[in-house]
Amino acid sequence: MENKYFKSLEELSIDITRETSEKPAGDKQFILEMQQEVKKMTSGTRRDFLKAFGFTIASAAIATSCEQPVRKAIPFLIQPEGIIPGKANYYASSFFDGIDYGSVLVKVRDGRPIKIEGNTLSSITKGGTNARAQASVLSLYDNERHKFPVFDGQETTWEQADEKIISQLNSIKVKQGKVVLLSPTVISPSTKAAIDEFVAAYPGTEHIQYDVLSASGMLKANEKTYGKAFIPSYRFEKAEMIVSFDADFLGTWLSPVEYTKQYIKNRKLTSGQGRMSRHIHFEGAMSLTGSNADHRVQLKPSQQKLVVANLLNVLRGKMGMDAAFLPASPVEVEKLADELMQCKGKSLVVSGSNDAEEQMLVNAVNHLLESYGTTILTDVHTKIRQADDARMDALVQEMNDGKVDGIIIFDVNPAYDYPEREKFIEGLKKVGLSVAMPVLDDETSYHVKFICPDHHYLEAWNDFEPMTGYYSLAQPAIRPIFKTRAAQESLLRWSGNSADFRTYMAGVWEQKMFTKATAEISFTDFWNKKVHDGVFETGEKESGINSFNGDNAFAALNSIKVESSEDSTDLVLYTNVSVGSGKHANNPWLQELPDPVSKACWGNYVAISPRLAIELNLKNEELISVNGSPALPVLIQPGQEYKTIAVALGYGREKAGVPANGVGQNLFGLIGKDAENKKYWLSDVNISTTGGKHPIAITQSHHSMEGRAIIRETTLEAYLENPQSGNEVRLEIKEHLKSMYPKAEFDGLHWGMAIDLNACTGCNACVVACSAENNVPVVGKEQVIMAREMHWIRIDRYYKGDPDNPEILRQPVMCQHCDNAPCENVCPVAATTHSNEGLNQMAYNRCIGTRYCNNNCPYKVRRFNFFDYTGADTMKGNRYDPAEMTTDLRRMVLNPDVTVRAKGVIEKCSFCVQRIQEKKLKAKTENRMLRDGEVVPACAQACPAEAIVFGNLNDKESMVSKYFADQRNYHLLEELHVLPSVGYLTKVKNKTV
Amino acid sequence: MKQTLFTRAILRRFAFACTLLLFIASFNAALAQTPEAEANYQQCKACHNLEGAKLIGPNLAGVTERREQDWLIKFIRNSQEMVQSGDPIAVALYAEYNNIPMPPHNLTDEQIIDILAYIKNGLKVAPEFAKPEPSNEELAAKMVLAAQIEAEQEARLQRLQDLERDANRNTGTIFIITLIILIVVIFDLLVTKVIKAKFVHTALILIGVVVIAEIAYKEAAAIGRQQYYQPDQPIWFSHKVHAAQNEIDCKYCHTAADYSKSAGIPSVNVCMNCHHQVKEGKITGTVEIAKIQKAWESGEPVQWVRIHNLPDHVYFNHSQHVNSGKLDCAECHGQVETMHEVMQVNDLSMGWCLQCHRKTEVQFANNGFYETYEKLHEQFKSGQIKKVTADMVGGGDCMKCHY
Repeated sequence: MENKYFKSLEELSIDITRETSEKPAGDKQFILEMQQEVKKMTSGTRRDFLKAFGFTIASAAIATSCEQPVRKAIPFLIQPEGIIPGKANYYASSFFDGIDYGSVLVKVRDGRPIKIEGNTLSSITKGGTNARAQASVLSLYDNERHKFPVFDGQETTWEQADEKIISQLNSIKVKQGKVVLLSPTVISPSTKAAIDEFVAAYPGTEHIQYDVLSASGMLKANEKTYGKAFIPSYRFEKAEMIVSFDADFLGTWLSPVEYTKQYIKNRKLTSGQGRMSRHIHFEGAMSLTGSNADHRVQLKPSQQKLVVANLLNVLRGKMGMDAAFLPASPVEVEKLADELMQCKGKSLVVSGSNDAEEQMLVNAVNHLLESYGTTILTDVHTKIRQADDARMDALVQEMNDGKVDGIIIFDVNPAYDYPEREKFIEGLKKVGLSVAMPVLDDETSYHVKFICPDHHYLEAWNDFEPMTGYYSLAQPAIRPIFKTRAAQESLLRWSGNSADFRTYMAGVWEQKMFTKATAEISFTDFWNKKVHDGVFETGEKESGINSFNGDNAFAALNSIKVESSEDSTDLVLYTNVSVGSGKHANNPWLQELPDPVSKACWGNYVAISPRLAIELNLKNEELISVNGSPALPVLIQPGQEYKTIAVALGYGREKAGVPANGVGQNLFGLIGKDAENKKYWLSDVNISTTGGKHPIAITQSHHSMEGRAIIRETTLEAYLENPQSGNEVRLEIKEHLKSMYPKAEFDGLHWGMAIDLNACTGCNACVVACSAENNVPVVGKEQVIMAREMHWIRIDRYYKGDPDNPEILRQPVMCQHCDNAPCENVCPVAATTHSNEGLNQMAYNRCIGTRYCNNNCPYKVRRFNFFDYTGADTMKGNRYDPAEMTTDLRRMVLNPDVTVRAKGVIEKCSFCVQRIQEKKLKAKTENRMLRDGEVVPACAQACPAEAIVFGNLNDKESMVSKYFADQRNYHLLEELHVLPSVGYLTKVKNKTV
Repeated sequence: MKQTLFTRAILRRFAFACTLLLFIASFNAALAQTPEAEANYQQCKACHNLEGAKLIGPNLAGVTERREQDWLIKFIRNSQEMVQSGDPIAVALYAEYNNIPMPPHNLTDEQIIDILAYIKNGLKVAPEFAKPEPSNEELAAKMVLAAQIEAEQEARLQRLQDLERDANRNTGTIFIITLIILIVVIFDLLVTKVIKAKFVHTALILIGVVVIAEIAYKEAAAIGRQQYYQPDQPIWFSHKVHAAQNEIDCKYCHTAADYSKSAGIPSVNVCMNCHHQVKEGKITGTVEIAKIQKAWESGEPVQWVRIHNLPDHVYFNHSQHVNSGKLDCAECHGQVETMHEVMQVNDLSMGWCLQCHRKTEVQFANNGFYETYEKLHEQFKSGQIKKVTADMVGGGDCMKCHY
């Protein structure tokens, strides 16, 4: 391989290396010193020995002589129909947290929701999920959930709270005061109806929507160009050419699961497809989407608008329209314009900016390229962002001016994530009646009089319309755990309607939705069917969209100027795929999820380009402050634009709970404002070192494969010429693979997994899904720093090429279930063996924790329980619980079909053997063979990119066999002849070399 | 006139014949109740009485007069459908009986008509199907036989318990004797020195250590196992009365055994199916049954003591063994029908599981699932192997039970 791959800058041995004061491990003297130390520790006196001996004997005697505890079996009083103890039920529901939408199925075991799966009936998410939807089941069992209504810091009853609130609302009504309903974007038709009812009951009410991640600029741009504030729906699968200006559409932009499903359709080369879309990405920071692009162009955020304008200008020129006179583009756009012209009508240009002018320019570009009607639909709207930033700003001003008499806050947290949060809190103090309706504990609830906690979404009825004509329902999967009440029901109660929200919602559906039904005759049928399916898609279209009006865009084009000087340093404030806006920061699964680019978890950091780091003499983990912000550690991030630094939002929570509090710093305060919209970047920032260091937990170089070429890649051109390109080495290796032993043969079932590297985007959904399915423990920041993270599946990330502007390649790695497994024959107690179905088995109760297997595994996928993280041990001293995962409430999320591992045993991916066994049993009871695709491991189920295929390798017709027969297929480190059961398909990029 | 008389006579005869035919026909219809109807009626019995106190549903006496036959057929087949379609009688009934739906029954028209006739006939099958009443001698002989069987079973259980007690006692005695011998020998070796030949000491010490080690090992291996565990239950519930004397099938109460990992302890409403009526038992009188009644009324479920416990790292699935493995409950749980209070008869150790996996055949020829195992099938067909046991298809692998 000519290209040098590296996993971290340390490997590249450039100047910026971590200071290594300690002697390197493996050094002879170091080992001797260690041995001395150990000797010192172990050489005790005779008394010590007697003490230890006595204790051991005594504890053994106690442990053995104790009677078995009496266990109770308590059946139902009346067993509900359709519920069988020990058997899981699946209920359709919908996940929407004001940011991401997903249609999901909730797995409920004995009354407890334990897992979220994608709902394949939805044509938006098509069975895909993202990391946050997967993790949402854990927030149901959040220790810091509000457990009862609160008035003035004291527990109260719903009746008393209602009485007080209603009387205050009435007095506001009498004096014709103003009440504000502050909510995230509301896409629920029934909630809207309830809000309308409230507004009718209290006429001085205004409903204001507030988006943490705003698309206000886009809404305004569309209002100016199409006469209506809306977000269109995108069709990435129809685009042959995708140009994205900092729109992280695979990770965090608008509806990533939907876009991933679409995007991947044009990227997969299996089933004989010989075509791929071409994706060009402009950005300053390093994002998930950017790292997946065929061609990534570094661009400072302050220059982005100028580049879009230049692109528009060049396109206009090429189409014979009069071009404006513009400052020169910092990057070349001529070639891009040519490429786009070739794909006219099949191209898509998107921008993640919240600048209305830039979005208008993007609209104009798309209009010129005839994207509207093909890759962008204006008659189907994406409704998940509706807030107008200016409206929120005005509200905060009004509150401070004392013009607001009452405020009812839905599940939003401006006291944490509003840019001027101090001003908001000040304003809130001046409001006579302040009510918050949060689910989890948050900063805002500390500044209100009434806390009227809302249900978690898994406890509540709800409905959604994320896109025009795509309705979906949410139904409770568990009885409310605490004394909470649906926010809508609270509103109804205060407006004098005593209906419970389910009845109310059914009423709304009977009036509004049932009229759109075609198949069902009675409403009961309709309702039951839709609640069962979770989705209802009518195919209706929006009307009242004007044709494109380019005047404003052209005006914007003419007024473009250079926004920052050449040498200004820009700051990008982004959200990552794990904790996102910070709403889910108290979710330990998400905190421990490594960022797909930096592989860091448990906290945010300032990502700086290697060049800038040298220039400013900054080293990794050194604390710096940006524009006077709280100090954050530096992380040198290859691929970052030279003068762009980036910090993730969503950290630095103060009142969220043990896992989130004090993790990272809150930088929402740095969010700026342009004319009327929030601005997620700053130019001319001032960096100052504050002294000191703060460790960053990175899973990056812990599992290094030492520079071997383990991701094989090629270009589309080369692939079409020779499907085996990039994978030529395979033939050579195969020739040399010889063994004295006969090859293992499996009669019947031989499980295998194939991963299409071309489809995998690295979104991390599989990692959380695996944690949820397999009770994978959370170990906390300190343990991650010590390389003790427990994830059974990890996504390796490799850089390639120039460290200032490298390409990124990713590869999910889990236990490869080798048929010639090196771990099996080193286990002294035969705790890990091979099954007759090709599974590499792990018997926890047999494992004595020698970790020989871990040492001998070439893939480093085995994990050791250094402590008891989940409360499985009887010995309390073994427990290590940095994220409060051992409380009774949190433990309710555990999957009862999978053993909770205790301290001192090795664990690893089992190919979700519990799912294999479940489906085998189902086939047996139905007296038939297993069908291909019936067994779906948790990672494959969660994957929005359909990158993971699982099945029986003995069945030549199975999908996985077809993947294995593909010429792109190869195995990781196959030269070792360990015969892995996991195959990878080479990565193909659509680029010219 | 003559002709009219003649006609009248013919008419009269015709009418008579018709009446007769009708009578015979109706008689036949009334008598169509077959033993199948009697069997099917067991389903009705769970919720309906014929007369007397009402159970979950209305009493059935006179139901054929109260309702149209077609209505009944429809209602029995799927009552909820009728309720939802707004049938006034069905809706009223549903409301009257506390919105407890009558579950749908998969019966043919003929079967339902048959059951209705059986009800109309006062729960008697047609005479041609009726079993002859057994004579007194036969009855007496039967009772003697039943008593004998019962006595034998009780004796067996007693033997089992005695065996266990003896085994425990024996181990204890051996342990103590060996210990004493060991001490004496060591004492002699070091102090008294009565026996001159040292090899005697050596041999005795070795044997003593081996015996003690073996006992210690066996006892240690049994830690956490609960063979012969027979705790007191909150209600003195007798499996013998229910399963043996009343011949209730195991799966009538433990319904989930066919579908789920756990066999399921019956919920109180299942008990109440019968105990709505049965308020007094032969052995305990009304005391124990009243506890169920109390649980039902107070809404507090019964807290049974779990007898068969497996460690957390073991996955066991009832439906796997009962439904697809076609094992009898008694294979693992013993003769539960002979026990008043249930006792765990097997040790449920891993060795015990594996032993069974090694000798028990799977439904290889009968279950379509096993067609996946092509090579085994070839060998099976060619007669190379006589039977396919569970461990031959992976029943001995770790991750079949531990995951």
